[in-house]
Amino acid sequence: MEQKNKQPVLTVEDLSLVIDGKKILKDISFSIIPEEVLAIIGPNGSGKSMLLKTLVGIRTPTSGTITWAPNTKVGYLPQRFQVDHYLPMTIEEFLSLKKNPEYSLSEVFSLVKIEKGWRTKNLAHLSSGQLQKILLAWAVIDKPEILLFDEPMENVDIAGQESIYRLLYELQETLHVALVIVSHDLNLVYRYADQVLCLNQKMLCYGAPHDELTEKRIKELFDTHTLFHHTH
Amino acid sequence: MTDYFIYTLISGAFVAIASGLIGSFLVLKKMTLMSDALSHVALPGIALGVIFKFEPIIGGLLFLFLSIILIWGIENKTKLATESITGVLFVTALAVGSILISETELLEAFFGNVEDISPLQLLIQTIIAIGIIGIVAKNFKSLMLVSIAPDLTYSEKISRTKLELLLLVLIALTISIGIGFVGVLLMSALSIIPAVTARNLSRNLKMYIWWSMFIATLSLIGGIIISHFTQSMNPGVATVLISTFFFLISLFGIRK
Repeated sequence: MEQKNKQPVLTVEDLSLVIDGKKILKDISFSIIPEEVLAIIGPNGSGKSMLLKTLVGIRTPTSGTITWAPNTKVGYLPQRFQVDHYLPMTIEEFLSLKKNPEYSLSEVFSLVKIEKGWRTKNLAHLSSGQLQKILLAWAVIDKPEILLFDEPMENVDIAGQESIYRLLYELQETLHVALVIVSHDLNLVYRYADQVLCLNQKMLCYGAPHDELTEKRIKELFDTHTLFHHTH
Repeated sequence: MTDYFIYTLISGAFVAIASGLIGSFLVLKKMTLMSDALSHVALPGIALGVIFKFEPIIGGLLFLFLSIILIWGIENKTKLATESITGVLFVTALAVGSILISETELLEAFFGNVEDISPLQLLIQTIIAIGIIGIVAKNFKSLMLVSIAPDLTYSEKISRTKLELLLLVLIALTISIGIGFVGVLLMSALSIIPAVTARNLSRNLKMYIWWSMFIATLSLIGGIIISHFTQSMNPGVATVLISTFFFLISLFGIRK
């Protein structure tokens, strides 16, 4: 692919993260070029969310380097976004808290497929699936070059999760952003991701999904972990 | 009405606006109890001011700053929750403060005494209040974001920990300027009750913040006037009762 010639947006080298003496991430290295989709998979507690948090600077790496291409704008969707059920804030007011927007409200609404009437809708009245869409609007409103998407917590229903992932991949194509997604849905990974990174504190695989996601490896990654039970 | 009384009212209005404004952040960030406890920390500072004859507000400010640096530092270095640390500091400060001053002065520090506020303190309070309002106006988006969704502050120029420290500093400043009017025990009436009341009445953020500032102002000005003309009621107590009255009314107007 010609993509291989592009300069990476993000390069991570030997990244390790230790919190309270506990190893969360160990020697992670990967890079992502413009418009590439990287899927991060791994069992619960494997450090996926922490990896994203470290990339955006919420956590400071214990060692290793994270290098962003100059002036890279990053959009990040955290795993959990709790809105106090009583928060007096409209969607419009929430989105206006983001500095330097590049899209108008109606532009971003049509991007993430929200009806115009939602402008004055209260944030606290949204379902968690709807809230995900608003977060997505928040993440793309300043035209980022890369989007980091953490898997939503279980409280988003399956249908809602599927539609948010589909929307995400659509956006990736229309906005030409690079995408780092955390997901455990291997079908989606096969279908959309250019690269996959298997994570369980250490990097267990990294490369094209069809090469890396062998049955044996998936077994290794998930079955050894008693916490993880998932059926497809 | 004397000039002094008018100055008191003007200073009171600024102090109340700042309190209502900061209170609206406290309620969203769920820091109400912590700010309530924090206000008691000012007591030893006020006591030192009384003993060594300098403006009590300066002593109060000094102790508030010491304690927020302590709280912020401990919170960032250990896993202790802010609330636990504040809990320890606050009872200690209360005990130390009580040893240091006489009973009458202690009552004044607890409930506030408008008559005792010097013209210099009125001026300092007003300037600090204007400063608080200005800083919040300038950093409104960042402060709001760190209050409602700290994880989304990743794209901000100022880091989350610094924004949280700024909020703590603003809280300390607000407490220091309100204590003269309502005392250390009742300070929360000036910031928390108006914000909670405003939340009951508001559909959006704009309404919420304006209501909060408005109710705080109405309560404090009302409290000062009532206490001035009845001469029997403490202004701090009157302020609390007025704001509680608004809160009770707001329960009927809750917007979901």
